[in-house]
Amino acid sequence: MKSINRSRRIITLFLTLFIAGMIALVIKLRNESSFYMMNSDKLVLGKVYDRNGEVLFDDSDTQYPEGHFTDVGNIIGDAKGQMTNTLVSANLELLNNYGFEQGLVTENGKSAIYTTIDHFANQAVFNAYGNAKGSAVAYDYKTGEILVCVSLPSPDVTKGYANIADFETGTLISKNLYGTVPGSTQKISTLISAIEVMGADALFAKSFECTGQYINKSGEIIKCHKSSGHGVQTIQQAVENSCNPFFAQLVEDDSLPLDGIKNTYRKMGYAVNEDVKSRFSIDGILCEKASTTLENSYDFDTQWGCIGQGDTLVSPVQLMMWQSAIANATGKMTMPHFIDHITDVTGKAKDHAVTQFSEEIFAPSTAQTVKQIMLTNGNNNYSASIEGYSVGVKSGTAQVKNGQEENSLLVGFVDSSRHSIAFCILIENKNNVTVTTEQIASVMLDALCS
Amino acid sequence: MFKNGLSYFASAVFVLVAHSAMLLNIFVNGNYSDVNSVVTLSAVVIGLDLAYFTAMLFFKQMTYSIDFLLILILNMSVIFQSSFGGVELNKKHLITCITALVACRGGYLLCRNHRFIQNKKKYIFLAIGALVIAIVTLTGSRSMWINLGPVSVQPSEFIKPLLVLGCATSVMEQQRKHKLLCFNVVYENIALFFIIALICGLQWWCRDLGSLPTFVGIYICGLFFRLCYPKAKFSKKAVIVGVAVLGALAIVAVKYAPSYVQDRLFVDIWSDKTGNGYQQSKALIAIAEGGWLGKGPGFGELHNVFAYDNDIVFATISEEWGLIYAIMTVIAILVILTVPLINPPRSYYHASLSACICSAFTVQMALNIFGSCNMIPFTGVTIPFISTGGSSMVTSGFMIGMLSATQSPIFKKTKNKKKSSSGRRAHN
Repeated sequence: MKSINRSRRIITLFLTLFIAGMIALVIKLRNESSFYMMNSDKLVLGKVYDRNGEVLFDDSDTQYPEGHFTDVGNIIGDAKGQMTNTLVSANLELLNNYGFEQGLVTENGKSAIYTTIDHFANQAVFNAYGNAKGSAVAYDYKTGEILVCVSLPSPDVTKGYANIADFETGTLISKNLYGTVPGSTQKISTLISAIEVMGADALFAKSFECTGQYINKSGEIIKCHKSSGHGVQTIQQAVENSCNPFFAQLVEDDSLPLDGIKNTYRKMGYAVNEDVKSRFSIDGILCEKASTTLENSYDFDTQWGCIGQGDTLVSPVQLMMWQSAIANATGKMTMPHFIDHITDVTGKAKDHAVTQFSEEIFAPSTAQTVKQIMLTNGNNNYSASIEGYSVGVKSGTAQVKNGQEENSLLVGFVDSSRHSIAFCILIENKNNVTVTTEQIASVMLDALCS
Repeated sequence: MFKNGLSYFASAVFVLVAHSAMLLNIFVNGNYSDVNSVVTLSAVVIGLDLAYFTAMLFFKQMTYSIDFLLILILNMSVIFQSSFGGVELNKKHLITCITALVACRGGYLLCRNHRFIQNKKKYIFLAIGALVIAIVTLTGSRSMWINLGPVSVQPSEFIKPLLVLGCATSVMEQQRKHKLLCFNVVYENIALFFIIALICGLQWWCRDLGSLPTFVGIYICGLFFRLCYPKAKFSKKAVIVGVAVLGALAIVAVKYAPSYVQDRLFVDIWSDKTGNGYQQSKALIAIAEGGWLGKGPGFGELHNVFAYDNDIVFATISEEWGLIYAIMTVIAILVILTVPLINPPRSYYHASLSACICSAFTVQMALNIFGSCNMIPFTGVTIPFISTGGSSMVTSGFMIGMLSATQSPIFKKTKNKKKSSSGRRAHN
C-alpha cells in the first residue's frame, strides 16, 4: 500500500512542479509582454511631453510649427533608428500603446512620457546660440529635474534623414552626454582635491607667483592666459583669474600628493589612467564618465590635465552634476532625470520620479568652501554679465583640435531657494562666434526663472 | 458503474456545452469567409462527441472520467487546429484524433488486467527491440522518421508506452534477485537500464534529443517504484546520490553536446531572431499580441511560422484564442493526470503505470510550453493531443488508455480465493 501511496506523491510532485512552472510562465509573459512587442514590427507610439504639457515627440501625422522639435531633436529623438541614445529610442517600450489586457491600441492609446524639460526655456537657449555650436544643460540641483538640454547642431526630426549625408558632424548626438575637454572648469575638481587633501586653512594659506608662465620641475613651460602674469596669487584669486601657473605649482606642491588628487578624482567619478571608462544611465540615456591621466606631479601632462587640458575629458552633464554637490553643500550629487512620470495605455500615471543622490564624493565642508569661492567669483566677475542672479560660476577655455580651436565653457549654479539651478554651457570654437557663455546663461536663467 | 466519476449524462452535457461555447466563439469572432466551414466544423465536433458518448456505453467501466476528459481535449484540439489562420476543418487532424480514441481503447483493454500483460512481458521487450531496429534500418540517414508514402511515422514515439509497460511490469520482479558474480541483481533492472541507455544512444545518434527527457522521466519514475517496492522507504542518501549523478550526466551531456544542440541551448533568441531564436521570438511576440483573450480564432499570424501547429502550438492558441484558453487547455490535460490522485490505483503495477504516464505527459508538456516560451531550451516536442502528429497522437491516446485502465482494473482471482469466496457464499 505504501508504494501505491508513493505513486500519488510522485504524481503530485510532477504536477506541482509543472503548475509552478506554468505560474512562473504566466508571470513572465505578463511582465515581459511589452518587451516582446518591442521586438515585433508593430509599434504604436504615444507622445512625449515637456513639464508644461507641450509635445516634444509625436509619431503621428499631426502637423507642428516649423522647427518645433529641433531644439530637442538629438535628446528626445525619434523612433526612426538613426539616433540610438535618445529618450525615445531608450524608452520605446514605455511609449508603446500596448498592454497585455488591452493588446496593441492603434487609436487613442494614452501611453506617454512626461518629461521634466521646459520646452520654452530649451527653445530660448537653442535660439540664443544663433549660428554657434555647442551645448547647454541645466537642472534643478535639489530635485534632479533636467530643465534644459540642447546640443547644436540638432536635427529636425520631422524632416527625416533623406539628406543625412549633409548633416554636420555631431548633429545626431547630444554633446551634453559625451566627454569634452573641460578647460579651466577642471580647476574646480583640482580645487576640491586640494581642500580634501590639505584642508581649507592650509590651502588658503598658500600663495604662488604667476609671471605669465611657469617652468615646472621637469623643465617644461606652463603658460598663463595673461602673458604679463597675475603676480602672487591666493587660491581665491587663482580661481577668479583662472591662473594656470598657480595650479601647476599647487599640483607640484609636496603637501598635495598626487595619490590624494587621484583618490578624490576617482570618488568624483573619473577614470584615472588605466581605469575602465564607463557610462552611467539617465532614464536609459547613457552618459560618459570623466577620464584623465595623472602619472607624475612634476610632469607637464599631469599638471596640464589638472588644469583641464590635454586628454582630460568630462561630459557637460557630469560637470553640471558636480555643481549640485557644491550648491547643496552636501558633497553628494543630485542624480538627474528626464522622466517625471509615465502613463500607460489606459492613461494611468505611474513611475513618478524620485529624487536620488549619489554617495558622498567629497566632504560637505569642502563643498561649502568651494561654493563660497565660486559665489565670490560670480559676485566679483559675473554680476554684470549674468545680471539679477546670485551665481557661483567657473569659466573655462578648452584647447581642442591640437590647439587650433578653443571652446568656451561655463559651469555654475544659482544660489537661490526659489530657483535651484545648476548648469553647464559649452560654446565651440568661441573665437569664431559672437555669443558668449554668459549670454547663454542669462537667457537660460531668464527663461527658467520668469 | 459510475463509482468515481461524475454522472454520465452531466459529463456529456458539460463536454457538449464546452465545445459549443468554443464553436460559438468561432462563429461570432472567427475569421471565416464561408459560414459553411463553421457549420461543418460544428457538425463534426458535436457528431464526434455524440458518437463517442454512445460508443462508450458499450464499455463497462468503473469510471468514465478520463474518457470524458479525453474527448473534451481532443475535440478542443480539432477546433483549435481547424481555426489557425482561418476556419476550415482540419481533416487530417480529425482522423488522427479519432485514431487516438481507438488507440485509447486499445491501451485500456490491453493494460487493465495486470496478469495478462505480466505474462506478455517478453513481447514488450521484443517490441522495443523491433522498434529500435526499425529506426536504425528503415528511417533515413540518422533520422527518427519512416516515410510511408503520404504518411510519416516516428517509431520512437511508440517506445514511450512500451517503456512505461516495461517499467510497470517489472515492479513485481524486484523480489526475485539472482546471484550474478558477487552481486544480487534483478534481471529486469539490468534490462531496463540497457533499454534506456539504448534509447538515449539512439536519440543522440539521430540528433533528435527532444524526447530524451521524456524517456528519462519515465525511466526514473519506474526506477523509483522498483527500488522502493514493496515498502522500502525512500533513502535520502540514495535520492541525493541519484540527483547528483543525474546532474553530473546532464552537465557532461551539455558540455559534449553537438554544436547544433549547444547553439539551441545557449541561444539569445532576441539577438538571433532570424536564426535559432526565430520560432521562440515569434511565439512570444504572438502571445504578447494575443493577450488574455486573443485576436480571435483565425486572426493570428503565427500560422506562417514553421511548426506553428505542434512545436509552438501553445503560442498559436494564445495568439488566436488568448492565454486564458491556452491555460485552460493545459489544465484540462492536467485534470486527466490528477485522476489517479482522486481515485488511487489498486495495485503496484497500476500505480507504477499511472506515475510513469504522468511523468511522461508533464515532462513533454513542460518541454513544449516552457521551451517555446524560452524558459528552457527549445526541443521541439509536441503537447499531447493538442499538437498535430499522428505518431504522437496515437501514442498519447494509447497512454491515456493505459491510465484509464488503472481506474477500472481487473484482478484475476486465484483458485484458492475463488474457493474461499464461494465457501463464504455457501456459508451465508
